[in-house]
Amino acid sequence: MEQNNKLLDVKNLIKVFVIGSGFVRSKITAVENVSFELQMNKPEIFTLAGESGSGKTTLARMILGFIPPTSGSISYKGKEISKLNGREIELWFMKEVQPVFQNPFETFNPLKKVDSYLYETAINYGIASKKDAHKFIDESLNLVGLSLQEVAGRYPHEFSGGQLQRISIARALITKPSLLIADEPVSMVDASLKMSICNLFKELKERQGVSIIYITHDLATAYYVSDRIAIMFRGNIVELGPVEKILTDPKHPYTKVLRDSVPEPDPERRWQGRIELSSFEEREYQSKGCRFAGRCPYVMDICKNKLPEDILLDGRMVKCHLYGSDSNKTVS
Amino acid sequence: MSILRAERLKAYYISEIFGIKRTVRAVDEVSMDVDNNEIFGIAGESGCGKSTLIKALLGIVKPPLTILGGEVNYDLGDKRFNIFSLSQKESKNIRWEYISYIPQSSMSVLNPVRRIRDSFKSFINAHKKMGKSEFNSLVEEHLNLLGLPTEVLNAYPHQLSGGMRQRVTIALATILRPKVIFADEPSTALDVVVQRGVIQLLKDIQQEQKNTIILVTHDMAIHANICDRIAIMYAGKIIEEAKTQEIFKHPLHPYTKYLIGSLPRIGDKSYRVSAPGSPPPLSNLPSGCSFHPRCPYITERCKSDAPSLVEVGNNHKVACFLASKEG
Repeated sequence: MEQNNKLLDVKNLIKVFVIGSGFVRSKITAVENVSFELQMNKPEIFTLAGESGSGKTTLARMILGFIPPTSGSISYKGKEISKLNGREIELWFMKEVQPVFQNPFETFNPLKKVDSYLYETAINYGIASKKDAHKFIDESLNLVGLSLQEVAGRYPHEFSGGQLQRISIARALITKPSLLIADEPVSMVDASLKMSICNLFKELKERQGVSIIYITHDLATAYYVSDRIAIMFRGNIVELGPVEKILTDPKHPYTKVLRDSVPEPDPERRWQGRIELSSFEEREYQSKGCRFAGRCPYVMDICKNKLPEDILLDGRMVKCHLYGSDSNKTVS
Repeated sequence: MSILRAERLKAYYISEIFGIKRTVRAVDEVSMDVDNNEIFGIAGESGCGKSTLIKALLGIVKPPLTILGGEVNYDLGDKRFNIFSLSQKESKNIRWEYISYIPQSSMSVLNPVRRIRDSFKSFINAHKKMGKSEFNSLVEEHLNLLGLPTEVLNAYPHQLSGGMRQRVTIALATILRPKVIFADEPSTALDVVVQRGVIQLLKDIQQEQKNTIILVTHDMAIHANICDRIAIMYAGKIIEEAKTQEIFKHPLHPYTKYLIGSLPRIGDKSYRVSAPGSPPPLSNLPSGCSFHPRCPYITERCKSDAPSLVEVGNNHKVACFLASKEG
């Protein structure tokens, strides 16, 4: 029965993109051996954080079933997604796992009334008949602090980015999903409204029991909303664990660099010291060992040749030779 | 000494389509002073008019953008002028050499089909005549100073990463050692680590060349990190202006309070509240103080009168009846 306790189980997931054709082909491993799981009866907000090109969106698209993985498996409530047939995907999986996209102005067609999306979702998924759809829609709009009365008959340009993002979250909630996958949901929302969306995610988790995979590059909001965080770098999860531990006491050198680069909203605590940037990023994807070796201040010989194992340390997973049995070095 | 002074600047977008007049009050009665050799931050949400303010300050005014009033005066030591009274040729000479601009998207400066070296060439040749070896040594010296590899000169823009391109753009914008640099969201599209590198670069340049930077971004954490003074814009007006430390410690305007109070911080999970409601469209502003429909401290007067920006001591200016106790 152990299988059934897992809401989502991602195992050794790999995605390789082939670029070019004919003789000039090259491969880019966007996601390289990623594993993590979410528990069933314990709703949580799980953050995937990392720079652009770290593979976080590719990972999300694989979980949503938009693109097939090259290898590895994704199981949702004990069933492997790739083995589901079309009918099961439509009637069950797509209801259970719903996406929220980055730019609310792109989510909605500017020439279509916003509520038509809500009705379509309710009717097409068989949640409600045409007659009583409005009741379900109103319910899910209430969850995000809006009502059908405010939304009905209006076009996307009549709403602010924050409101539209709420509506797109309400749309996702119509099917009563257990898992929301939100890809950079607050990056296009006005600064003064950002936190209201973050608070909404927290409420959904606590009151509705919805688990959320929150994808972001913004570590400050990640710290605020999430329970656990996975730091991705060049297709690998380099550190995974409770957000308090990882962001206040990072172990992986990359997490440290990332953490130190977040600007503090406090003029008394400005950036100290300097950082080095990589000038040629493609080389990091191609390298054989740890992808961060080229920039790591603690780099050792082994790092350049061998990808580190996942190591359990202080209540988290960290992928770094510094903490492995191959080395007896310690860092301060 | 102020190097740039804007007085009651009014820049509206005025358009008439099928007889329907539309006025977007993007910059409304904005006055500001920027001191020599400081980093001046302009903060505000998208659609508050901060990019239009930059355009007006740079004198890039094309219809439908119309200047309805006000002046923008520069005092660059040997050169003093009102930006709107310059002829086309004069403003062409001043741009890049005296007043420079760093855009958000580097691709709008770099020509995608020409090597970086050619971009530098056409940039410099427009202002200074110099030989090949002089040119090479100038560019290489500048890139070395900024910590960029000189290999980039032979690259095409698409061969560089976003962060590298942005740093090349900054190098390009600063090679003629301009007195004033406008940077419009220079690090917004970048990753955190690269963002830090770009901000670090701007700071280095300012310290080395002793110029003035006007930095526009919505990210308050960036302002906290680099700016000497900050102006907060809301609905086309500057509503608060003070030294960075002062504004973060004692924000006076209710909007600024929300803006700073809602910033998430790593290590602090306490509940954050966003300002209620949403920003008004600039084409249809509420009466009186533009913030009044969202303000928790609203009085009758706020609905009818618009407060002006007044100093309340300590070089702290605010446009709010409550905070300034005006009237």
